Amino acid sequence: MAGHPWTPGEMMAVAAASRLRDDDVAMVGLGLPQIAALLAQRTTAPGIQLLLELGVFMPRPVEPAMGIADPRMWKDAWSFGGVLDALGAMLHGGRVTLGILGALQVDPSGSLNTTLVRGDDGSVRRFNGSGGGNDIASLAGRVFVVMRHDPRKFRPAVEFLTSPGRILNGRPRGEAGLPGGGTAAVITDRAIIEISDTGAVLASVHPGETPEAVLASTPMPLIVPAGGPGETPEPTGAQRALLREELDPKGWYLG
Amino acid sequence: MSKVSSLAEALSIVKDGTHLALTGFAITRSAVAAAAELIRGGRRGLTLTQVVGGLETDLLVGSGCVDRLIYSGGSLDRFGPLHSVNRAISAGLAAEEYSTLSLTLRLLAGSLGLPFLPTRSLIGSQLLERLIPSGGAAMITDPFSGSPVLAVSAVRPDVAIVHADVCDEQGNASVSGPLWSIKETAMASARVIVTAERVVPLGGIDPDRVTVPGTVVAGVAEVPGGARPTAVYGAYDYDAALLTEYVAASREGGETFARFVAARFLAEAVA
Repeated sequence: MAGHPWTPGEMMAVAAASRLRDDDVAMVGLGLPQIAALLAQRTTAPGIQLLLELGVFMPRPVEPAMGIADPRMWKDAWSFGGVLDALGAMLHGGRVTLGILGALQVDPSGSLNTTLVRGDDGSVRRFNGSGGGNDIASLAGRVFVVMRHDPRKFRPAVEFLTSPGRILNGRPRGEAGLPGGGTAAVITDRAIIEISDTGAVLASVHPGETPEAVLASTPMPLIVPAGGPGETPEPTGAQRALLREELDPKGWYLG
Repeated sequence: MSKVSSLAEALSIVKDGTHLALTGFAITRSAVAAAAELIRGGRRGLTLTQVVGGLETDLLVGSGCVDRLIYSGGSLDRFGPLHSVNRAISAGLAAEEYSTLSLTLRLLAGSLGLPFLPTRSLIGSQLLERLIPSGGAAMITDPFSGSPVLAVSAVRPDVAIVHADVCDEQGNASVSGPLWSIKETAMASARVIVTAERVVPLGGIDPDRVTVPGTVVAGVAEVPGGARPTAVYGAYDYDAALLTEYVAASREGGETFARFVAARFLAEAVA
């Protein structure tokens, strides 16, 4: 997206933040999900309640953190508890309306792989695994996936199903005993893909992108709505300043 | 009688083949001094249960101490992945991978003396597909509603290690900040060893501040800085430079890693 003043990371954080609601209770993973949630908290969704899986309620960090286990991330929290409070009573108890996760790979049902990828030679490269990711994808009211729009990350079927999407073995996930709604949208640096029970829909492309170019970079079945996808609003100067100057001044996540 | 001893003495109940449980989380509150002492002592064949793996997990696995790993994944947050763990699993280390909640529920079941606990997590995942043959999880029918639900089996480690802010001489241990699965891991284990930044006489800790009760604690060792280079809430920050070096050395593995661990973690014996 040469010629735009914003970075792909900024675009992604702003696009994700705009979908968060003031009354959301959100469980966030490390990296861009954190940044998007904090941006929403500081702008359009000041009432949003944030939780971290290790038992942190309503953190209000003022410095960028290395992840959810960085005590900087727990700054000025309302309260501390444990996994049984955060992932147990809050998430398993049905009180978490939104999960925001990253992923190595996603498929048209919104299933996520955070465990491993296979090389062309059959070699396996392992990554961080589930942590609380599977719990959040299984149990949250709805899930947003925030990830770079790398063609290798979109698969007709993920190489390892760490966290379930909306459809399991061709049937709605509820039939298998999963309570949460599953993946609602995949937000990338080029587009927003909504996940429905009938497939993945190219809901909007970011400014400067064409639907054709995005489709060519998304090697999985993708439905284009009648009338074409919308255009995602561009980041405002105020949003970018907040991201740059306060939420990620070192550019760890925003690039 | 006081339970306080040297770290090496406290850890003498961890034998070759012991089922050990650890309670650090990524880059925070890792029992690094204890892990280094176990490596120094040449422990082998450990089964290691840890809800979220971190620096001490990677040190023990990378040093060849662990034959079986039960965890829910892990990382060094943005510093990098658990290279030694990931490499060992690719090379055939027996690993059972859960989610944070489902493994915590296994420990809770263990602590309560229950055979299993039900959960709606993990269902439909390939994690679960791999766990069913291990005996850690099974789909069952809710006897009340008739709907499908997952049962995760109890786990009861032999020994848990907790790194506390402060502990009294009877093992009443205080941990500040978020508690992730520290309590469930300690209470599920047959015996608990506490390493603490500071040891005080019995009565020196407000009962409101006790996280792990001394009644389940077998041994206590005072180890100031015992979680370095990971962070301890309210006490010290992580050492970003050393963690960065660790990620580079663990990415290399082999002799480079062994030399790095020897020089930076094992050289200075802790009293």
